[in-house]
Amino acid sequence: MTAQLPASGPDLEFQTHVEDGRLWLQTCEACDRAIFMPRIICPHCGSLRLAWHPASGLGTVYSRTVLYGRPKPGDTRPTRHALVLVDLDDGPRMMSRLPDTDPDDIVIGMRVKARIEGETGAHVVVFDPAGEANA
Amino acid sequence: MTTRLRGKAAIVGVGTAGLGEAPGFNAMDIQALAVHEALEDSGLKLSDVDGLFTANMSHTFPAISTIEYLGLKPRWIDGTNTGGSSFVAHALSATMALEAGLCDVALICYGATLRSDAGRMTPAAEQPTYEIPHRPRYPMTAYAMAAATHMARFGTTRAQLAEVAVAARAWARMNPEAFERDPLSIEDVLSSRMVMEPLSLRDCCLLTDGAGAVVMTRADRARDLPNKPVYFLGGGIASYNRAVSEMPDLTTTAARDSGERAFAMAGLKPEDMNVLQLYDAFTINVILFLEDLGFCPKGEGGAFVSGGRIAPGGPLPVNTNGGGLSFCHPGMYGVFTLIEATRQLRGTAGERQIADAETALCHGNGITLSHQATAIFGTAAAL
Ligand SMILES: [Zn+2]
Repeated sequence: MTAQLPASGPDLEFQTHVEDGRLWLQTCEACDRAIFMPRIICPHCGSLRLAWHPASGLGTVYSRTVLYGRPKPGDTRPTRHALVLVDLDDGPRMMSRLPDTDPDDIVIGMRVKARIEGETGAHVVVFDPAGEANA
Repeated sequence: MTTRLRGKAAIVGVGTAGLGEAPGFNAMDIQALAVHEALEDSGLKLSDVDGLFTANMSHTFPAISTIEYLGLKPRWIDGTNTGGSSFVAHALSATMALEAGLCDVALICYGATLRSDAGRMTPAAEQPTYEIPHRPRYPMTAYAMAAATHMARFGTTRAQLAEVAVAARAWARMNPEAFERDPLSIEDVLSSRMVMEPLSLRDCCLLTDGAGAVVMTRADRARDLPNKPVYFLGGGIASYNRAVSEMPDLTTTAARDSGERAFAMAGLKPEDMNVLQLYDAFTINVILFLEDLGFCPKGEGGAFVSGGRIAPGGPLPVNTNGGGLSFCHPGMYGVFTLIEATRQLRGTAGERQIADAETALCHGNGITLSHQATAIFGTAAAL
């Protein structure tokens, strides 16, 4: 017996949704848990029954760090690049950025909401602050 | 829990070469010199080596390139690459291969010339697909996030992180082979250039050239060799994730499991350990591993390392060679934990020697907190 391939590979499926401006995640139909990164098999229970669903995109900053680049010639201030890990309300965790938020305003525990940005063909999931009023 | 490997093999030779800077030499060159040193030390010959345990980032087939360079014809090869933890894990698999009769003399070795080549880490060919678009800088980003999470959850401070770097430097000042030997204060660490919040330059390991080699053989044969055997008492590995975003909890590493397995095999407890060699790629590592290996409760590592507790003169000697922070860090540091533990248990560590050291714990960490390996060694008195 050889395994039957699904209609589309998980990376391609994920990116197709992202290119359409939407965050979709796989949910396991056997154990009901959502997963990320996209996969062919559920890492929680081993099932192949993974279905795609739109995610709420809401989440909480689990960790954050700010990378200090060396200043470019003529500049005095180092470049600063903030990275976060976000725990999605849907379940999984993802690494991302808050591109429109000052690094100093990004704190562990803050509520955030997903947004898609980037060049055509290279869209990625990023986040903005989300007051609980907006959530 | 298996204790069948306890005391069955021993480290009988160690060697280093090209520590710090070795311009004009490649990784295989200095690795060969370290191997030669280790074999001289062991009283065995290159032609006696029939088991090879190696990994690196510069060669796609490190074991095969090593056997060709050295002219080995091994009966058993283990090239498992789990990053910097590889060699501590190799001590366990070497003991297993020796005990099973798959080989009689096991060589564990590593060499790299990162400092002379490019002055930066060799990136892994395989990078986490969904992290890379956000431009993390590996391995630092993972450790910075672990430190930030530890600080937010437990109130750990940058000054407590700095204690780890200051202790490492104080040990390095007593080690003639250490790369960084200038005085270092907590204030120096706190005021050093911020590289990735909350880690400053002095929270980060060195990036050097360097090679290390370890020779192991079965305990019966080890007793006939010139050096005091350093017996393998227990080992364990554990791994949960590759990417930091897949790590279940950034404040608890898989060292909790690798350590528990190693202690169970050795039949020993944290309080039985005389000296620790903990893979210190960043200051936060030592705090995480002291907690996860059971030397203090979770969350209390920052307070635990304060006041010079792990520094020379303190009650728990950690990284007596100066560690990756001040001694040497050629990308994959783990082999040096085995070498320093051996020197301490032989009583040949010079000015930094821990009096009457009979037990030592080596802990290796690989990739971005992705793989953990623990090995416990002891003198004949600990058997
Ligand atoms: Zn499942």
